[in-house]
Amino acid sequence: MLIVAALTLALYWPLMLWVNAGAAQRSLDSGAELGCATAIACATQLRNPVLPAPAQLVRSLRTMSVPPLAVTSVPYNTLVTAGETLVGLLIATVLGILLAVALVTSRAFERVTLPWLIASQTVPVIALAPMLAVVLGQYGVQGWLPKALIAAYIAFFPVAVGVAAGLRSPDPMQEDLLTTYRASGWQTFWKLRLPASLPFLFTSLKVAATAALIGSIVAEISTISFSGLGKMLAENSRASDTLALWVIMLYGAGLGIALVAALGLIERLVTPWRAGQPR
Amino acid sequence: MASRAATLATDRTGRRPGPGGLVLALGLALLLAAVWNVWSFPLDAVPPGRKALSLALIVLGLGAGVSGLAALARRMTGVLPALLAALLALVAVEGLLRAYGVPPGLIPTPTRVATALYRSRVVLLGDARVTFVQEALLGYLAGVGAGIVVALAAVRFPFLERGALPYAGLFASIPIVALAPVIVKAFGLEWPSKAIIVAITVFFPVVVNVVRGLQGANPLLLDLMRTYAVTPAAAFRLVRVPSALPFLFNALKIGSTLALIGAIVGEFFGTTGQGLGFRIQIEAGRFNLDIVWAAIVIASVLGLAFYGAISWLEARFTGWHASRRHSR
Repeated sequence: MLIVAALTLALYWPLMLWVNAGAAQRSLDSGAELGCATAIACATQLRNPVLPAPAQLVRSLRTMSVPPLAVTSVPYNTLVTAGETLVGLLIATVLGILLAVALVTSRAFERVTLPWLIASQTVPVIALAPMLAVVLGQYGVQGWLPKALIAAYIAFFPVAVGVAAGLRSPDPMQEDLLTTYRASGWQTFWKLRLPASLPFLFTSLKVAATAALIGSIVAEISTISFSGLGKMLAENSRASDTLALWVIMLYGAGLGIALVAALGLIERLVTPWRAGQPR
Repeated sequence: MASRAATLATDRTGRRPGPGGLVLALGLALLLAAVWNVWSFPLDAVPPGRKALSLALIVLGLGAGVSGLAALARRMTGVLPALLAALLALVAVEGLLRAYGVPPGLIPTPTRVATALYRSRVVLLGDARVTFVQEALLGYLAGVGAGIVVALAAVRFPFLERGALPYAGLFASIPIVALAPVIVKAFGLEWPSKAIIVAITVFFPVVVNVVRGLQGANPLLLDLMRTYAVTPAAAFRLVRVPSALPFLFNALKIGSTLALIGAIVGEFFGTTGQGLGFRIQIEAGRFNLDIVWAAIVIASVLGLAFYGAISWLEARFTGWHASRRHSR
């Protein structure tokens, strides 16, 4: 794993020079004052590089995350987005499990709703977000809650589909065994189906966590918001500040990785019988 | 065994036919009456008496419709129950929006959306072609292809699996929206930048799931192959590929819904003036919500068709799997 990381880092420098040299040559040809002589030398100094030079990246990382809890700094906004995502994920988990149970227990319910649950996922949330904000605002719901709801809206579907598949996953032999034990439907559900669905739950929760993160960032872009990674992305995208976009992307990536890692940790605690298996 | 369960099920439900269809028709008629009752009034001038009557009709109609549909759906398969549910919901929403006089700048009524869908069909279909065929579909195919190749390589070469796969898991948890502006800035405003976003979105779930599926093959079966002296290639085809298929299709389904969202979100960070995401953003800014909803309807229909196609393939290739045994 470390060898691959070292290899990637070693390849990054020439790749960056190669990608940026063209843009640097163009701005040199246009006669801009860059303070450097050749295209290769300028490749590390561009104001809007395609790939930023490591020194540039480190410099903007430092300027954008010090002091960490200021309203304009990236760590603070990452925390805001993380909070919205976690609340959204919680709502989505509860909703997803309830839906999965309803889908598995009632075929009529599944036939009526499943196509529309799927359809609801392809509705681009960014279009719904401003309307949701206005409608919720009329009922006094403002600030971070609309973002959490939009995050939950994207994230409930993977949970519902995954848990439904998990609830249906027990081996027929095991079901037959419980039938011979004269177990009731409730007992079969509690002792066989629910444990069998746990690995599926965690697999889909990891997907749902990233989906919820996407949801809260998208919601921040498209509703009125004063903090969060999405608001910073939208601002810096409009200002074409590529370096800032890279820094925000790194923070977003870090947040996503942290969320999934935390879920992996919980998975090990809750389903220890799978801990030894390769994942 | 499965066929025995199926005959049992038809016996159980076949014994009580129930008047579900009649109740459903009654509910629908009540809802239509509710809409007709307030149809001729402008949205801001519905008399209170008419409004109360419509609301009562909607409550009654929904009650009858839902109970009729529930009775009906126990015996019906396919998409018909879902379509009937949508019809009920649409008529009820039309009635509610008209009775309450909700302004079309907040939520337009279904009939307005249908009109907008018909009037601007040429523009919207052009947008759909760009967003779906060029950005989502091409990106999806590229992402899935690359994902399968990388997964096979990772299973074949343990060095790659130990060295590169942890990163696949890490990258899979990066939010695409954070990636989208950087990629659009790097690859330009044309459709390829969005296809790249989609490909990256789809790539990681496919890699992670396929590797997991290939390695999750039952060790007993692999040992059995060894005792039969089956060549490694044949063992791979007979045991590992089938065990990976359910995981692959799971990733394909997740990817199909993410692909459209990825393409549409990518368009928010810059386009050349075409695409469903671009249309939604620009018309939402003008409070032209009829067209926004029409674009949403088209995106949903395309997404549904996409998902349906993959589900059909899944049912054909993995019908034997335990998780699909009951659903037929």
